[in-house]
Amino acid sequence: MSGMHKIKAQLDSFLIEIGDMSYFTGRFFKELFKRPFEFKELLNQCYSMGNKSLLLVGITGFIIGLVLTLQTRPTLMEFGAVSWMPSMVSISIVREIGPILTALVCAGRIGSGIGAEIGSMKVTEQIDAMEVSGTNPFKYLVVTRVLAVTLMLPLLVIIGDAVALLGSYLVESVKGDVSFVLYFNQVFDALKFGDIMPATIKSFFFGLAIGIVGCYKGYYCKKGTAGVGKAANTAVVFTSLLLFIIDFIAVFVTDIFYDL
Amino acid sequence: MKNTNSQKLRLGSFVLIGTILFIIGVYLIGQRQNMFKKTFTISTYFQNVNGLQKGNNVRYSGINIGTVKDIGMINDSTIKVDMAIQEKIISHIKKNSIATIGSDGLVGNMIVNIVPGKGISEAIENNDIIESYSKIGTDDILNTLNTSTENAAILTSDLLKITNSIAKGKGTIGVLLNDTIMAQDLKQSINNLKTASYGASNTIAKLNAIVSSVETDDNTVLGMLLNDSISGKKLKTIVTNLETSSIEIEALLNNINTVVDDFKSGEGAYNYIVKDTSLVNSLKSTLNNINEGTDKFNQNMEALKHNFLTRGYFRKLERQEKKKAEKKKN
Repeated sequence: MSGMHKIKAQLDSFLIEIGDMSYFTGRFFKELFKRPFEFKELLNQCYSMGNKSLLLVGITGFIIGLVLTLQTRPTLMEFGAVSWMPSMVSISIVREIGPILTALVCAGRIGSGIGAEIGSMKVTEQIDAMEVSGTNPFKYLVVTRVLAVTLMLPLLVIIGDAVALLGSYLVESVKGDVSFVLYFNQVFDALKFGDIMPATIKSFFFGLAIGIVGCYKGYYCKKGTAGVGKAANTAVVFTSLLLFIIDFIAVFVTDIFYDL
Repeated sequence: MKNTNSQKLRLGSFVLIGTILFIIGVYLIGQRQNMFKKTFTISTYFQNVNGLQKGNNVRYSGINIGTVKDIGMINDSTIKVDMAIQEKIISHIKKNSIATIGSDGLVGNMIVNIVPGKGISEAIENNDIIESYSKIGTDDILNTLNTSTENAAILTSDLLKITNSIAKGKGTIGVLLNDTIMAQDLKQSINNLKTASYGASNTIAKLNAIVSSVETDDNTVLGMLLNDSISGKKLKTIVTNLETSSIEIEALLNNINTVVDDFKSGEGAYNYIVKDTSLVNSLKSTLNNINEGTDKFNQNMEALKHNFLTRGYFRKLERQEKKKAEKKKN
């Protein structure tokens, strides 16, 4: 096979995968509004994806808030603009760092989890068994997981933002002797709806991307344990890449609507 | 997988906390945008808004009281700015208030500052229009700076010419800087001045000593005059007496003047003696006659001494004279 043919084959397989994923997403939305609704499984997935990611997201957010403040402080002090620290940190965290970081952490934890779980079910033919038993596996496995991660990620982002701001406040209170009220007054003086709303809407799309890619990779997992591992791995890699693409598009669209 | 109650509780708490945090965030941001407060609108017109945007803060005497609601062009040189102001502030803003556009710090957002006007005025109402005042914008400052820079360039070129002239020894300053003889003269002058000032300071010290001794020592005339109250009283009396004496002397002089006048103008003996020439002549002839008479009388007396009748009397007188002279010798 010549080089050109190889590239063409790879491009074809990539485009086919994109097409499959689009069909998969379409099917998700179609199944989403169909009865019966698997509420129990949804709640179960919400718990395992939301609550169980909370500690990880909280620690990551707290450290990012601390580090961002510690790293930025000397530069701002050089300009005599250290009083702008709450504004700068809050806008950075709420607009960008909070959503993207939480999404990446969740892509690692939830995306790979979904990929591995559904992949192993596929490999062990549990999905086929469900179909035979009359249960819609797509609805039970995919819709609940994608919906759960889509709903949970914005909440995780909000809590992650709050913890990151607390971490930032901790540094400011120790180094700059700033009171809690003054710090958060400055934070909310700096923030506008143009900061918080696009970030929240963006988080829904991040959650959707993590869920769809994870489920897709698991649902179409190749046979064998290697397939499961690959499904989990590619789910994380592809999701991370997709998150940045979505982020870029979101910032682009926000810029048009909110004139940042 | 079965959902336990503890799972549901934890999930519920998680969702609730996330939602509450979101609502608090939205509320706090909305509150700062005056979304949940009753507001009224006031407007003003500017020629230049210097980058003011919708949502920028409006301040009254430094307090945030609202936000910019809308900015619109009225014509090519007038911009209308509508401001949403908190209703509780309405009673404090008067109709003569003035709006200006400022900056929140050196690098901060633009803001509208409303300052109270002078004098008494009614409280503002909804949809009122207040006066505006345009401060100097950044462009104006840059223009002024440009002019200043040009002037500075001219000044520096002139300064360069001056310094060149000085370096070459031209002009008074150049001579001062470069002429070594003049420098020595100046040095000498300064030395002389130093000596003079030293002498002056010595003299002043001596004067100070004299003044202090005058102030403290009553034995000197000045000290007595300055310090001795009894002598002072005596001197006062003397001066008073002198004054009285001078008055009396004046009166005496007046009398003498009158007498002299009388001498000059009157017809007394003096005037007669001084002014009558015939009297002088007769007095002269009289005196001549008297002289002649006296000579003849002396001749007669001499003749009497030699006459035998009177000779004895004269000899007796001589003997008495001799005796008196001998007594004095003894």
